[in-house]
Amino acid sequence: MDTILQVTTKMSHSMAPSRSLLRTFSRAQAQVQTCQRLAFSTRHAFPSSTTTPTTADGPALITPTTRNARFTRFRNELPSSIAGGKQQRRYKAKTVEEARSRYRTGPFSWKAGVLFVLAGCGLVWYFESEKKRMQRRRIAEASKGVGKPKVGGDFNLIDHEGKPFSSANLKGRYSLVYFGFTHCPDICPEELDKMAQMFDLVEAQAPGAVVPVFITCDPARDDPKVLKSYLAEFHPKFIGLTGTYDEIKDVCKAYRVYFSTPKDVKPGQDYLVDHSIYFYLMDPEGDFVEALGRQHSPQQAANVILEHVKDWKK
Amino acid sequence: MGLEEVRTGARAPDRTERKQCWDARDSFYKCLDKHDVIDSMTGDGKKTADKHCANEDKAFHDNCATAWVTYFKKYRVADYQKKMTLERLQKEGANKVGMQGSGDLPGGPRGSVVR
Repeated sequence: MDTILQVTTKMSHSMAPSRSLLRTFSRAQAQVQTCQRLAFSTRHAFPSSTTTPTTADGPALITPTTRNARFTRFRNELPSSIAGGKQQRRYKAKTVEEARSRYRTGPFSWKAGVLFVLAGCGLVWYFESEKKRMQRRRIAEASKGVGKPKVGGDFNLIDHEGKPFSSANLKGRYSLVYFGFTHCPDICPEELDKMAQMFDLVEAQAPGAVVPVFITCDPARDDPKVLKSYLAEFHPKFIGLTGTYDEIKDVCKAYRVYFSTPKDVKPGQDYLVDHSIYFYLMDPEGDFVEALGRQHSPQQAANVILEHVKDWKK
Repeated sequence: MGLEEVRTGARAPDRTERKQCWDARDSFYKCLDKHDVIDSMTGDGKKTADKHCANEDKAFHDNCATAWVTYFKKYRVADYQKKMTLERLQKEGANKVGMQGSGDLPGGPRGSVVR
């Protein structure tokens, strides 16, 4: 152990003279450089001062202030060889090291590495997001079809205020359509609560982008008044739609909703209705985009909606 | 405005009434679970339910629309059968397919529910 240490110290001793020699040599070189620069700058300074005499105080070639200014400029120009020996030595050592490392590693420095990794990550992120966007677009395009939209369509119903409401009222904004009925035992209330959460989440990020719509499958019992009080419990912004038996039947058919409402019900007879339990996301042109089912949590569903909304803005 | 209207189906229950109904249903289910009854409408199941869960059944009827009571009782049976079928299929080595957007296929996570 000791011997090795000795050897290394000896080696460093033997190295020392050569290193100091190198240093003095490089310093001498630097002085030559600064001298050249000085010569150049003085040569440069003269022509300008010889042209100035045309002005009033011409003969006084160099006023004290200008001389001072020039001197300071010189000082700035002479890097450090005159300004301070210590600083100069450090500066030089740095350049030598830099030069050496550049020679050793070529153009590869940590900066280049970081830049490379960042650019790589950026590209991967960009391609991933672009891929996802294309997938969403494919989903949206797939359901658009060439001619008539496969799901959804025009309708003329009345809203929970008793005013006429048609499919034209939904144009220009996304709509989230849900079919149900107020006498629904368990699924619809749960789903409507979910829809309210979903809507709030979307509304927080894209206010006014989506219209929540509830269409009843049970027009015989769900008149505007009933719908109004029913939906108010879920969300004040929900729009409830109802109509005649045939109108509702047509809407259900257009949205491919399974419709089993009995037509002639005796007053006072209770019954339940079968219906599909999807949320239909429709785009601003009234075309079907995507169905959101029970497998989506409110947050997931809101994300799906928001992504489609963002796509549309592009 | 009374529970009577809700029971006959003349008026849809509001949020609190729904909650009451669901609570009554859950305690009825709990009682059935205790006595290993799935179908409380026919056969031995009905006998056992009538004998041991009469109080819960009465509360259930009092708090829910009659149509809902029937629905929930049937739903319990259907849900059980579905669970059994899924278990059987899993034992037979069927693979569960991840459903995206078509939850009403058999095996999907509670898709369209017939009521």
